[in-house]
Amino acid sequence: MDFALHLLSGGAGNLAAYLAAHVLLCLLPAFFIAGALAALIPKPAITRWLGRSTAVHVSYPAAAAAGSLLAVCSCTIVPLFAGIYRKGAGLGPAITFLFFAPAGNILALAYTGSILGAEFALARFVLCLLFGIGIGLLMALLFARDDQRHDAQTDVLFATQARIGPAAVGVLLALVALLIAGTLRLWPLTATLGGVTLPLPWAEAWQAALFRWVPFDAAKGEEGVSVQGALLIALLLLIGVSAWKGLENIVEGGNRFTALALGLAAATLLVASLRFGVESAGLRIELTGRSVAVGLALWAALQQARRLELDDARAWLWESWRFSKQIFPLLVAGVFVVGVIRLLIQPEWIQTLAGRNDLQGNAVAVLFGVFMYFPTLVEVPVARMFLDLGMHPGPLLAYLMADPELSLQSMLMVAAVIGRSKTFAYVGLVALFSMVAGLLYGAWVDGIGWQALSLGLAAFAAVLAVALAWLNRRRLAALPGH
Amino acid sequence: MLTVKILGSGCANCRKLEAVAREAATAAGVQAEFVKVTAMQDIMAYDLLSTPGLVIGDKLVSSGRIPTQAEVRQWLAAAPG
Repeated sequence: MDFALHLLSGGAGNLAAYLAAHVLLCLLPAFFIAGALAALIPKPAITRWLGRSTAVHVSYPAAAAAGSLLAVCSCTIVPLFAGIYRKGAGLGPAITFLFFAPAGNILALAYTGSILGAEFALARFVLCLLFGIGIGLLMALLFARDDQRHDAQTDVLFATQARIGPAAVGVLLALVALLIAGTLRLWPLTATLGGVTLPLPWAEAWQAALFRWVPFDAAKGEEGVSVQGALLIALLLLIGVSAWKGLENIVEGGNRFTALALGLAAATLLVASLRFGVESAGLRIELTGRSVAVGLALWAALQQARRLELDDARAWLWESWRFSKQIFPLLVAGVFVVGVIRLLIQPEWIQTLAGRNDLQGNAVAVLFGVFMYFPTLVEVPVARMFLDLGMHPGPLLAYLMADPELSLQSMLMVAAVIGRSKTFAYVGLVALFSMVAGLLYGAWVDGIGWQALSLGLAAFAAVLAVALAWLNRRRLAALPGH
Repeated sequence: MLTVKILGSGCANCRKLEAVAREAATAAGVQAEFVKVTAMQDIMAYDLLSTPGLVIGDKLVSSGRIPTQAEVRQWLAAAPG
């Protein structure tokens, strides 16, 4: 009984600490950016580069851009993947798009950055981009013959042209500024500009009670719930209730609750940017550089959003709300479960299996990623748990690359569209590339220089080229007339 | 009777689109049969890049977004039969 309670409090503590801390400053703007990308960027602005007559050096980067800008949920990923494959640029760009979408979209990047650090987010982005294009090219080469049997249709689907409106660009820039202002840990954002001490003598007792309810161990990198955190969680619950009333039918028009929900969201960001301290005299609240930056970015976003057409603004709010509604409950449940499981795993197990950056560690990480399925973004808190338990960053990156790309869901989807043999090849390539990515990043973290790193990458590319040439010769030899 | 198809794998937007379309049909007094198309192969038969898609009288009228009730009513009125 005691043990079960211990586990439950571990889950609750993990969850409360996540919700209360800096995560909000990242997730809240990220949901609005994801909504803006889905609603305000006309898809033809990017998909017109994905038609079948497009040159290779255009279609692969365009596929990656589509993965990062257009595809935040499966509603877009599946049809666009099938469309690029069957009616557009073909297998290679379709695979690049599919591989890059789960790692390169704004929600994944922002969330990885805030939980695991900016360096991790950057490594995940760059390696997924490079290797996504690599895997796409390889698949196109391996199945070059199949790829020429495109449907005998014109690429009218990809011929439409469109431009992104200036107001949409303005909104996106302001939101990205908001995200950066909220998450970057640099001077002058961290500077203290001034503060007041509210004479609330019960603040100290309250803080002590919060720490008692949600016990934490600072030595393990855990964070307790502060007074500020409790305030943020309360604001978050209020946003949830008002958004349900104000945004569920936003397509038909807004109401009082719409304004309330948006106002509360802005207030939450501002509160999260302040610095709270508990003293014997009361509650000390300090204005930071971050508060000013967040305030300015919010103001800019509001100014830009006013320039949007009414339909666009409503579609934007709906998509943002839909993403929040769809992903946030999954994250809450996932983070809770991670908090429970963490108490059951001995750090020695992780350190033995993947504590070093070697072939075994990376292989174990990739295997785990292939066989476990976590819903959207939950792989990030799972990765944080592994990092805290002593996993080496190299294998951790290998896991982060393999897990979202190779979920059962995505494999079934790929198989339905491109057939089984291509799916097997894809899974094999992803596993291989993820391991290589893990080894490279691990070596980088361990302090190996640029030269050795690029030498390793070049050796890997050479081995691949030789293997491909050999495969190609064998296939040509098998063809009649050679 | 008019056939209205909702294209999509069952994500939140598809359910929302169906609700909007049903309300529009009821408000306009149009008798229509609603069909949900969830199989990827059948969805790809129409030229669309993202779901949800709305097909009225076998013509794709919108895709990748949720139209308003007023829009759906116009399409219903314009559909033959």
